[in-house]
Amino acid sequence: MAEALLQLSDVHAAYGEVEVLRGLDLEVGEGEVVVLLGANGAGKTTTLRAICGMVGTRGSVRLAGQELVGRPTEWVIRQGIAHVPQGRGVFGSLSVEENLRVGAWNRRDTAGIQADIERWYGVFPRLAERRTQLAGGMSGGEQQMLAVARGLMGRPRLLLLDEPSLGLAQIITRELFRQLEQINREESVSMLIVEQNAELALSFAGRGYVLESGSIVLGGTADEVRGNEDMRRAYLGY
Amino acid sequence: MSPNIDNPAYLLTLLTGGLTNGALYALVALAIVLVYKTTSHINLAQGEMATLGAFAVFELTRRGVPVWIAIGIAFLLSFALGAGLERGLIRPLERRGVFPVILATLALFLIINAGVAIIWGTQPVEAPEPIPGGIEDKVDVLTGPPPFFVTYVSLGVLAVLVALLLGLWLLLEKTKLGLGYRAVAANREAAQVMGIPVGRMYMFGWGIAAALGTLAAALVAETAGTLDFNSMGVILIFGLAAATLGGFDSVPGAAVGGLVLGLVMAFVPGLFTVVEGDLSVVIALVVVLVVLLVRPQGLFGTKTLERV
Ligand SMILES: Nc1ncnc2c1ncn2[C@@H]1O[C@H](COP(=O)(O)OP(=O)(O)O)[C@@H](O)[C@H]1O
Ligand SMILES: [Mg+2]
Repeated sequence: MAEALLQLSDVHAAYGEVEVLRGLDLEVGEGEVVVLLGANGAGKTTTLRAICGMVGTRGSVRLAGQELVGRPTEWVIRQGIAHVPQGRGVFGSLSVEENLRVGAWNRRDTAGIQADIERWYGVFPRLAERRTQLAGGMSGGEQQMLAVARGLMGRPRLLLLDEPSLGLAQIITRELFRQLEQINREESVSMLIVEQNAELALSFAGRGYVLESGSIVLGGTADEVRGNEDMRRAYLGY
Repeated sequence: MSPNIDNPAYLLTLLTGGLTNGALYALVALAIVLVYKTTSHINLAQGEMATLGAFAVFELTRRGVPVWIAIGIAFLLSFALGAGLERGLIRPLERRGVFPVILATLALFLIINAGVAIIWGTQPVEAPEPIPGGIEDKVDVLTGPPPFFVTYVSLGVLAVLVALLLGLWLLLEKTKLGLGYRAVAANREAAQVMGIPVGRMYMFGWGIAAALGTLAAALVAETAGTLDFNSMGVILIFGLAAATLGGFDSVPGAAVGGLVLGLVMAFVPGLFTVVEGDLSVVIALVVVLVVLLVRPQGLFGTKTLERV
């Protein structure tokens, strides 16, 4: 069997002495959308940080067969990963357009960068209206769109999204997921999405995992995850 | 009140003197701010590193190197020293917390101060003159009596400040390096996940700060006429005050803060005779405290705009 695009095997991660991930296995196939569910504090954010080399990690994280553990973050990002951090993390004192340019940090194709900026302005017209404004002054929804567009400016093979719907109105969340679906379909960008809104995420993802206390307790197709009794009680509330 | 209060030449002399000193404080404040913006550290050795740079200029000119070439060489060496210290000393300590870093910069202060005294002695040496500083090197404005003139040194110091501000603006606002630096300053973690080599931006900030400091110290020495191992001691305090006044993370704030401080310290003792000149440090600190009471973030500091 061919190896998946992203393959985590027996991953352990710790902040200082406190081990947060305890032997986690997970994979994302080429072009696939995978959702990672779990209660607060389960270790979802830490999983994404472990992939990007932002927390002390043991075990194996491979992207297209290449080992990422032990590499500095900037190197991992250069391999084609974009990370949209939890709480958005836009550069508040930079303009909207400068935020997008930072997203293209590893690219050299000036014309292509400009074309992509215009492209995301087309997808998120609110950003176009505010291109010269400081990102810190925008609403939560606008900042989230900027964070996603900024991540995609790097033309990643794999997009990591940490709770993209956090703090967004329902209608904006739906629009955001519609955009993500289109990006996945048209550019075959693979995605690993951490999401509280399990129902919405599972309607879009091909497969899902449930994380509990630092290891995977359930994994399968979106339907399997949705159909699981314990899962329904814990995360879907019916 | 001073008896000279209605004398235009006297007032203009206070003005140029205040602006000249203020420009020097501004240069030191810029150095402090450029380090602080990305790393959130205050380098207490900033002034001593600058003194070392000025002595490098002195040593080179003594060996026959033309003074501006000597400044250029010292500028580059200082950049390397600043960047190297960040990488080799500050970053390994940073993991242990802020306090070890403060102690390290304090230790650097003492070591460099003592090192300069050991190598070049404790007696003042004649300062190199990058700007012609003779009696006749001035522009006469009012023939008087009393006359008013502006020295080339004053003009030169202000020109250097303007040129550096312009250069910094171009570097920070118009280059990719500057974009990366500002991104790290705005949000270190987000910058890291964009693939920006964050550590190199720290080194860049420390390096450019050290280079600016050397230029400042060379000019401080020229305005004072002499250079010694304690030349930058009090200037560092004024630089810190100017940076605080401007709002610790603002480049234009550092420049304005320095100039305002220079002017206040020229005019207050100059107009009110009760205030003795050697109270200038007190005046500086009072101004800073008053501004901070009204605007805790300083004149130009960023109020956090992020909404949650
Ligand atoms: N920087 C940190 N230092 C120490 N502990 C942390 C840090 N970040 C998270 N943790 C701890 O790690 C655990 C998992 O956190 P996280 O990965 O953020 O969970 P989730 O994203 O699933 O809510 C939590 O118990 C949290 O308290
Ligand atoms: Mg989280």
